[in-house]
Parts: sequence; structure tokens; C-alpha cells
Amino acid sequence: MSELSNNYFISAAEIAAKLDKTTRIAQQLSLTASNARAVALRAGERAAGFRPLTDFIDRLAEVTIKSSKNINKLAAALSQTSVDKERANSAISHFNAIFIKANDSKFIHSLDEVFERCQHKQKQLENSYKRQISYLSEELVMLSSELRNAVILATLSRVEASQAGEQYQSALTNVADNVEGAANKIREHIRYAQQMVSILEQH
Amino acid sequence: MRTHKLFENNSHTWLMFGRDEEKPNEIIDTNQYMVISNKNALLMDPGGIELFSAMLSVVIKQLPADKVTHLFASHQDPDIISSLGLWDQALPSATLHSPWIWESFIKHFGMNNISYSAIPDEGSSLKIDQVTLDFIPAHYLHSSGNFNVYDAEAKILMSGDIGAALECVDAPLFVDNFDEHISKMKMFHQRWMPSNRAKNDWISRVRKLNIEMMCPQHGRIFKGDDVKRFLDWFEALEVGIIAKST
Ligand SMILES: [Fe+2]
Ligand SMILES: [Fe+2]
Repeated sequence: MSELSNNYFISAAEIAAKLDKTTRIAQQLSLTASNARAVALRAGERAAGFRPLTDFIDRLAEVTIKSSKNINKLAAALSQTSVDKERANSAISHFNAIFIKANDSKFIHSLDEVFERCQHKQKQLENSYKRQISYLSEELVMLSSELRNAVILATLSRVEASQAGEQYQSALTNVADNVEGAANKIREHIRYAQQMVSILEQH
Repeated sequence: MRTHKLFENNSHTWLMFGRDEEKPNEIIDTNQYMVISNKNALLMDPGGIELFSAMLSVVIKQLPADKVTHLFASHQDPDIISSLGLWDQALPSATLHSPWIWESFIKHFGMNNISYSAIPDEGSSLKIDQVTLDFIPAHYLHSSGNFNVYDAEAKILMSGDIGAALECVDAPLFVDNFDEHISKMKMFHQRWMPSNRAKNDWISRVRKLNIEMMCPQHGRIFKGDDVKRFLDWFEALEVGIIAKST
């Protein structure tokens, strides 16, 4: 995993980029679900126990796709806010330089109003930045706990797979592996994002 | 950043800002100009982002910031107007006058508050208080959408990159020896300007104007007879070529 950039607005973009991958993995999960359904159908009676599980896999895929799309949107918005925040900070520091450089200027106070406006804008961005970070954290926690069900699903799928007979066992075990693999990969991205978000919280 | 008064009468004043000793070495030195009328001011080619603090600092020595109601960008280059995003914070109700062809490009520098007044290809004029300023077409010199500012009363032509010279920051303000000055201008005009036809068209129009001072965005100001010397030299110069500078 790459080191966190020292620029927070670059980190926000990195989070957005990283989480973009989760949507794609979640889409693979959805493919796995329809694949599982097809195998279970072919296996007929012997995979009767497996069939309800395919519905759960489907639901898990659906929830994951929806949530990771939402997380992506939040991360992209956070990235935009942090760039705006950086620009507002830069304007403030330019004004501060002028207040030092030109503090004896006759008309220095003509900048008071625009400076106040800039500070107000900066404050607003600061607030939405914090709000967006907490939304993002909450959503990451939610998806992470949702994905814990994947482990249970995979275990149950393996049990059912072992009863489906030799012909279908490996295909169904494969489904279980895919569910678990996809869920683990997504959770890894989430953990990484959570780490970065907790660093961003300090800015 | 130094300030020089170029002209003053009871309706308005021309100021030049430049020769900034604090600017980083890697960026080209620029001249900024301002016309101050009774209640308003026009800041021309306000400069790059690196110059913003220095520029705003010298401006508020002259007048309250909100009196700067107009900005002008002769063309889209970064040394002309990359500071826009910051002026946009400092002068939220100002109007920027600039070539129509660059509107959607210049806005990339960040413009949320300032309004854009697009100058048509044939030029236009701006009246601030008692003063009338003409935006004179100077397309392809060097930018494909480019204007000069002419003040018939002050007999000043702000010529943007035309007449520009590459010099050090402590160079004198005015051209004092035209023949010596040529070597500092030649390569710039040949290499940056693409069209002899556009050049000659501009010269024939500008010859009809009464010009006491021609003020470029880089280098020195041409005064009196040096204006005509410049026009003659420029007319004879072939542009749009890559030549070894001599
Ligand atoms: Fe230029
Ligand atoms: Fe220039």
C-alpha cells in the first residue's frame, strides 16, 4: 500500500481512486451470484440447500454495489472540497502576506470586507470537509459490517457444496471462494480508506 | 514592486507597476498598468499568480481595493492573467475585459465572482467616469486574440507583448538608445509573433494614432520619436520565423 501523501487534498483524491476499485469488485460479486444460481439450477435437487444461499449472495452484491457507489460519490465530493479548501487557504495566506507587506498602506482596510468573506468561505469549507469525512467514515463502517456476512455465507456455501455431489462440488466451492475473496478484497480497501480518513480527520 | 506615474491630468492618472525585485528569477518580469479615474480604476494585464501579493500591496497604496472596478487581460497568457483566481477573491464585483475567444479558457484560472466582458474581434471602447479607453485589435501579436489599450487624451498605447524586450529587473524604465534596444526585442518578436500580415495591418492602424508613449508588458517604454522608430523597425522585421538571435 502506498504511503499517504503529505498533501491532504491529494490524499482525498487517492481515497476516491482506491474506493473506485471496490465498485468493480462488487460488480464481480454480482456476477458470482448469477453464476451460482446457474450452477445450483443445473445441480437440481442435490443443490436444493444451495439455492437460497444464491439469493443471499445476490443481496450482498446488491448492497455492496449500492454502498460502494455511494462511498465513491462521497469520496469524490470530499476530494473536491479539499481542493476548494486548499484554494481558500491559499487566498487567505496571500491576504495575510499583504497585511504584513502593506500594513502601512493608506487603504489597507479596504481589504477587510473581502478578507472576512474569504475567512467565512474557508470556515464553510472547513465545516463541509468535516461533515463529509464523518459521512464517509460512517458509510465505510456500514459496508464493512455488511461484508462480515460474506464470511458466514461462504462457510454455509462450502457446507452445501460438499453435499451437491462430485459433479458440482468444485463449481459451488468456487462460488464460495469468490464470495469470500471479493469480500476480503473490498474490506482491505475499506481498511486502507479508513486509515487515510483518520489521518485526514486531523487536518 | 515599484510604482511610476506616467501621466496625470484632472480626469485621470496612468501608473506603471513593475521591476519587482522580489519576484522569483525563473519567471519573466512584467509591467502592469493602471488607469485611475475619479471613482474607478482599470488594472491592465494584472500578471501572474506569483505577483499577486506584490501587486495588490502596491495597488492599495494608491486607492481602496473596491475602486478597482475593471480589469483588462490583453490575452490568455499566464504572465498576463494567471492571478485571476485571487483577484476574483479580492475584487468580487469587478469586470474583466478580455478577447471573446479566450472567455472559456481564461475562466480556468478560477473566476466565480468577477464578470467577463467579452471584447469582439473588431475592438470596443470602455468609458470609466470621464475617461474613454479604446481596445484596439492586435490579433496574432502574438496571441490569436489580443488587444491594446489606447488613451487618446493621454496619448498612451498599452501595447501588451508588442514592443516587449527581455531584460533584467533593474533595467531603466524608458528606451534610451533605440539601436541598442533592438537586440533585446528582435528574437522575441520573430519567435513569438506568427504573422507578417497581421503585423503590417496593426502598424498601418497604429500609425494613424497620436502616441506619446507606447507601453509594453515586458521591458521598456517607448517615448516620443522612439515610438515611430519602433514602428519602422517592426515594419521591416520579418516575423514568424525561428532564427538564431544575433
Ligand atoms: Fe503573451
Ligand atoms: Fe507577455
